[in-house]
Amino acid sequence: MIWEVFRQEKPGGYHRHVGNVHAPDREMAKLFAQIQHGRRMQTHSIWVAPQDEISEVDDEDTSFGGTTDKAYRWAMTYNRVDASGIQEVVESEAEQRAAAKKREAAKKEEADS
Amino acid sequence: MSLDGPHSLTPDERDAVEELLFRMADDEYVAAERYIEWQIFAPTLESDLALSNIAQDEFGHARLWYDLLQDMGYSEQECIWERDPATWTHSTLVEQPFEEGDWADAILRSYLYDTAENLRMEALVDSSYPPIADRVAKVLAEERYHREHAQSWLERLTGGEHHEKVQAAVDRLFPYALTLFAAGPNEDAIVELGLRTENLDDLREEWLEIVVPFLESLDLTVPEPDEVALPEETGRDASHTDAWFDLYEDFTHTYNELELEEPIRLRGEG
Amino acid sequence: MDLDTVKERAGPRQFSPKDDMPQEYREAATRMIQFHANSEVMGGYLEKPFIRQAPSLDRKLAFSAKVQDEIGHAQLLYRAAESLGVKTRDEMLDELAEGKGKFLNCFHYPMKTWYEVPMIGFFVDGAAMRRQATLKSTSWEPYAHAMDKVCFEEGFHVKHGEDMLRELMTSSKANQERTQEAFEEWWPRVIQFFGPVNSQSTHHGFAAEVGLKTKSNDELRQAFLNTYIPKAERYGLEIPDTPEIIYHEDEGRYEVVEEDLDWDQFWTIAKNDYDGSYEQIGSRADRQEAVEWVREQMDSYETAHSGTAPQAAD
Repeated sequence: MIWEVFRQEKPGGYHRHVGNVHAPDREMAKLFAQIQHGRRMQTHSIWVAPQDEISEVDDEDTSFGGTTDKAYRWAMTYNRVDASGIQEVVESEAEQRAAAKKREAAKKEEADS
Repeated sequence: MSLDGPHSLTPDERDAVEELLFRMADDEYVAAERYIEWQIFAPTLESDLALSNIAQDEFGHARLWYDLLQDMGYSEQECIWERDPATWTHSTLVEQPFEEGDWADAILRSYLYDTAENLRMEALVDSSYPPIADRVAKVLAEERYHREHAQSWLERLTGGEHHEKVQAAVDRLFPYALTLFAAGPNEDAIVELGLRTENLDDLREEWLEIVVPFLESLDLTVPEPDEVALPEETGRDASHTDAWFDLYEDFTHTYNELELEEPIRLRGEG
Repeated sequence: MDLDTVKERAGPRQFSPKDDMPQEYREAATRMIQFHANSEVMGGYLEKPFIRQAPSLDRKLAFSAKVQDEIGHAQLLYRAAESLGVKTRDEMLDELAEGKGKFLNCFHYPMKTWYEVPMIGFFVDGAAMRRQATLKSTSWEPYAHAMDKVCFEEGFHVKHGEDMLRELMTSSKANQERTQEAFEEWWPRVIQFFGPVNSQSTHHGFAAEVGLKTKSNDELRQAFLNTYIPKAERYGLEIPDTPEIIYHEDEGRYEVVEEDLDWDQFWTIAKNDYDGSYEQIGSRADRQEAVEWVREQMDSYETAHSGTAPQAAD
């Protein structure tokens, strides 16, 4: 049986998928995962989940975030106002800008290939 | 044959392009204007998010087509806000009000509508009017989720204790759904000019071939299509049920109250 | 873990579902997150009719997306609350429908006109965002994770809210006047958003000690006033005379004359006993009831087709 492994580096952080292990059951999966995926990288916690219990939808199946113009969802669109005085809005907008850039770059890469 | 952009159309061609665009834009706009009634009121938080998204997709599609009308010289005001409601040409399927809590209606309506929408878009892939053909792929990509969503829900709402709710929705909505394929005055020109590569009768047949077996596979009884009397108001000739006029008054209320200089645009740079 | 250890260890994202948290912590955190989640639902409920009222197609799209996000936030927050193991989401939503669930004071006042929309969309959301930004450092890790995503999205909400205010305040004189009227009506409620002065807050002490809250109400109110009074003035809004707000230049802080605010109404609202509370809670409860059959159907479908293992308890 294959178990997917998620590792969290520090308390309070996110568990991220790092790989998988073969194991006959949950207990053995935890034993194997801590060695295979936690023996060198900083690790605070590991989750294991049976691969069969994980379902996937990818960008061949669907268009995440849609294909038509959804600029109205993004803070950057509202450029008639100046939010520079509101720190938490500035931070949110910076995060959104970075996310949008990443998305655009990925789209462009796909279009070019 | 391929037509050029909006500025080199003959008057007859222009009438045909406008009719096609208004039918599409109005369908999407009014469908969405009804879907947003479910925001906050959907059965669960997750289903609320999904239906809200579908509503936004449909508004977005309406906007693609209204934009093309604006390229032909109309303003957003003339397309929506200051347009006589007795000239809108959406199918009367999409203007029907929802009974409180009637999620079966929302889902079935979406299934009937989005299946038709998918066929209509496929018949526009090779449209002789390039601005339409250029936009179809984007719409089709989003419609895929809509159909999967509606079908999955229908499979889960039927066969149990509440099966009759879905059946009641079929009985009520099916005649209105057939108005999706009712012709407008320029239908012949639309097909002859190759604006749409299939006529409405063929689209109707294809739609029935998908919809009827699927609904019957869920143990729903579908009326014999040829025996269904079309509602008096089809929408396609701009005839509408009272619910539409109430809806129009409601969604233009604030627009009229504010008298802003122009409707604001919030578009991406790309 | 005993309470002393909790207080000793209290810090940003310190505690997660695998920690054995004392009942006092679980209950306090549940109360706080449930309140927050309820507020997302009820805020969305208040704004929802205005999706239809939006005066442009793009504005309508934005408004729909904003209300959608509020439900998305509720989804994240109820999950964060559920992870404390005290109440399920269904129980919390039932409590909200029954009038037992508490939520923000501002969402007990029904909105009637578009002029009120930026009062929620800019000022209340701005106040909420200020508070939420500090909650990224709350001690309950799932709550902090929810705040990461909420704050990421919220920049759109506040800018959109400001843009609606800007649009009204740069339009006709009549619109400006009606916006000012709405502002005067909403301003005291917005000030009360941050609750009474600290000494009167029942739960603040404990929540701060265990790291659930990282800033006091008064600190948040100061930060809000510092930013949003100049904002309001820039758009030509006049700050109402009551409540009186005194600026102490030497300390760089605002003092709100608390007696100028209607605390009886505030506490009535806190008990869900205001007229508007009944209207908002009752009509939403009816809607929740009307789709009960769908949830039943989903549950029976799930039971009949349980293709996946049930989720382990948090």
